[in-house]
Amino acid sequence: MILILSLVIAVIFGSGAFLILQRDLFRVVVGIVLISNAANLFIISAGLTRGEPPIYPLPEGAPVADPLVQAMALTAIVISSSVAALLLSLVYRLYVAHDSVDIEDVSAAEAREAEALERGENPEREEEPRESPADVELREDTR
Amino acid sequence: MTGAALLPLSVLVPWVLAASLALADGRRPLVAWVSVVGIGAGFACVMGLTFAVLRGGPVEMVAGGWPEGVGITLRADALGVTFAAVSVGVILASLVYEVLGGVRSRTFPALVAFMAAGLTGLFLTGDAFNFYVFFEISMTAAYALTGYREKDYQVRAAFIFAVINLLGSVIFLIAVAALYHVTGTLDMEVMARRAAGVQPSSIISIAVAVLVAFSLKLGLFPFHFWLPAVYVGSHPPVAAILSGALANIGGYGLLRFGADVLPRELELGTAAVLVLGTASIIYGALQAISRQETAEVLAYSAIGQAGYILVAIGIGGPVAYAAAVVYAVVNSLNKALLFLAAGGRGRLVGAAFAVGAFSVVGVPPAAGFVAKLAMFRASVEAGSVALTALIFLGGALSFVYAFQIYQRIYWTPEDGKRKAGPLPARILVGLLAVLILAAGLWPEPLLVLGEAAAGVLEGR
Amino acid sequence: MTSAMTRMVARLLLLPTLITAVAILVKGYTQPGDGFSAGVVASLGVLLQLMVFGREEAEKIPGVRQAGTLAFVGLLAALGLAVWPLLLGDAVLTHYPPPGAKVLHFGTLEFITAVLFDCAIFVLVFGFVVGTVGAISRAIEDADEQEAP
Repeated sequence: MILILSLVIAVIFGSGAFLILQRDLFRVVVGIVLISNAANLFIISAGLTRGEPPIYPLPEGAPVADPLVQAMALTAIVISSSVAALLLSLVYRLYVAHDSVDIEDVSAAEAREAEALERGENPEREEEPRESPADVELREDTR
Repeated sequence: MTGAALLPLSVLVPWVLAASLALADGRRPLVAWVSVVGIGAGFACVMGLTFAVLRGGPVEMVAGGWPEGVGITLRADALGVTFAAVSVGVILASLVYEVLGGVRSRTFPALVAFMAAGLTGLFLTGDAFNFYVFFEISMTAAYALTGYREKDYQVRAAFIFAVINLLGSVIFLIAVAALYHVTGTLDMEVMARRAAGVQPSSIISIAVAVLVAFSLKLGLFPFHFWLPAVYVGSHPPVAAILSGALANIGGYGLLRFGADVLPRELELGTAAVLVLGTASIIYGALQAISRQETAEVLAYSAIGQAGYILVAIGIGGPVAYAAAVVYAVVNSLNKALLFLAAGGRGRLVGAAFAVGAFSVVGVPPAAGFVAKLAMFRASVEAGSVALTALIFLGGALSFVYAFQIYQRIYWTPEDGKRKAGPLPARILVGLLAVLILAAGLWPEPLLVLGEAAAGVLEGR
Repeated sequence: MTSAMTRMVARLLLLPTLITAVAILVKGYTQPGDGFSAGVVASLGVLLQLMVFGREEAEKIPGVRQAGTLAFVGLLAALGLAVWPLLLGDAVLTHYPPPGAKVLHFGTLEFITAVLFDCAIFVLVFGFVVGTVGAISRAIEDADEQEAP
């Protein structure tokens, strides 16, 4: 069981790492989600003991499964899901601005803009307030 | 008020504030000032707690009134409160600076309050998993803050920042789960006791994971690649918060998990830690010298300064740990001052920037001198000529880049395009500079804090 | 667009999911169930409506339009419940009556402050999940509208 679980974790983590190295930003987000899930599986496997469900009243004598890892995994899942939402909104924001989710296209577009700014002799990169289209209120999690 | 009441309040005040502010529009001046008052109250709680801890020793509270070992512990010791006080202080200063200049985003005050809540919780928790949760709360606030102005390059910087740091968080989470598996507890105090009895071979890989996770956070040499992009993209108060408050997680985490929970493994890895620290100092300083843009220079300088903290941790022993704490505190103040000052213009701000730059270099009477002196003492104590020379070399190199930026910003003729910023904001920057000078002229409080914090680490 | 079958199933599923969520919410403490899982179940039910009928229709369900606000209200309520034992001189997050004491029962519902805390968590989770998805879908719709004319 331990061997199977560690193999599964390794494969998921590896696929996530592979996806993070892609140029497509959506794949990067999926990679991060995969890696977080590998970590969740790792937490579960850290408390892998066979036993009765740890619910009151506890059975006499019989071993009880570790409830703490479940709580930890649950919290980690909540955190990773909310961060994934934040990342997706960032990617969407970049997609709206550049019509592309390719990191090199985005960087190239930025470099062009910077050059245009220099040529226009307008080094003022600040000010010009603009209304925020996407709410970045996605950071809350708390558990 | 007693420490037992101040401990939960220091965590909960910013948290309740953050949740309430999220419902209001932060661009309205009233809301912005409420946030300043709230964070100020949180800062007062942390300061009160600091005094209580320094007088009466560590304060503990188990949530839910559960017996110890069952419930989740909040624990304030000298190490935690020192970092908490500095971080919340830097956040407060940056928030006031931004409010004086006019908040431009409705979520800014709430995000800053969430960051303060996460950081105080992180420094004052006694539970390894709670450490991760608070860490993630403050990091998530940081990701959103990085994209504050919603400029494209900021959003891209925020994305890179988030991806890299999430990787770091996952590695840390895996390390926490592994520590739990090996020691069977999440309470850091118990964990430290039990880890001492476990075979080092099973913990050494966990220790490596912890080192990698916090090095990513601190932006040490081989893990630094994300840092310049983020700081260059960020708005000055945001950069000040990121480097003055958030980066403390790295130093604190290395001290707490390295020197406190896993001291034996840290000793085994001394050579690696020293090499990483040295590389960071030299690399950061050389890159900083070669850069043009102020924010970039400061970003690379942050890499170098983080290297000193790592070197002090690598040396080990009470003197070096005290040096690490003092250096981390002074570095936070320096970075906050420099990033805030770099955003403004004018004679007062220029003078403040000069004070900050001298403090980075370690010229008396700035506080940086005290920190550099502590480092010297630690390296002399360790009996290593090479380390002493390294600290001197690092100081000399930082003098070069500090002087370069100063020259570039304040000696070029005013082109009139840059606004000087409102007077109160400039006065605030001036006050920060005065604080750094005062800490340099009267270093006793700083040294007492450092020694008390090192005492926590040596007490086990 | 979605087929008639999906729409019918979605419509039929809404009420049962919400009832299940409430059941999970009040069932906790001696049996599996808590505010968090209840919040997730309830928000999944609402999200299904959102996917099938679109945002306009889904927002007719009470609480969906104000989901973002709800999340923070829930967080504040949870924090308040965590703080107020301090006033009585106990540790944060203490629940009354303490473990082992006599508890007032109403059917299977137990009157302890932990139930209130879980209700707050329920509101927080429901608000967060629905609010996040709603905010993203609103942003996408806004962008589409800007491009369309």
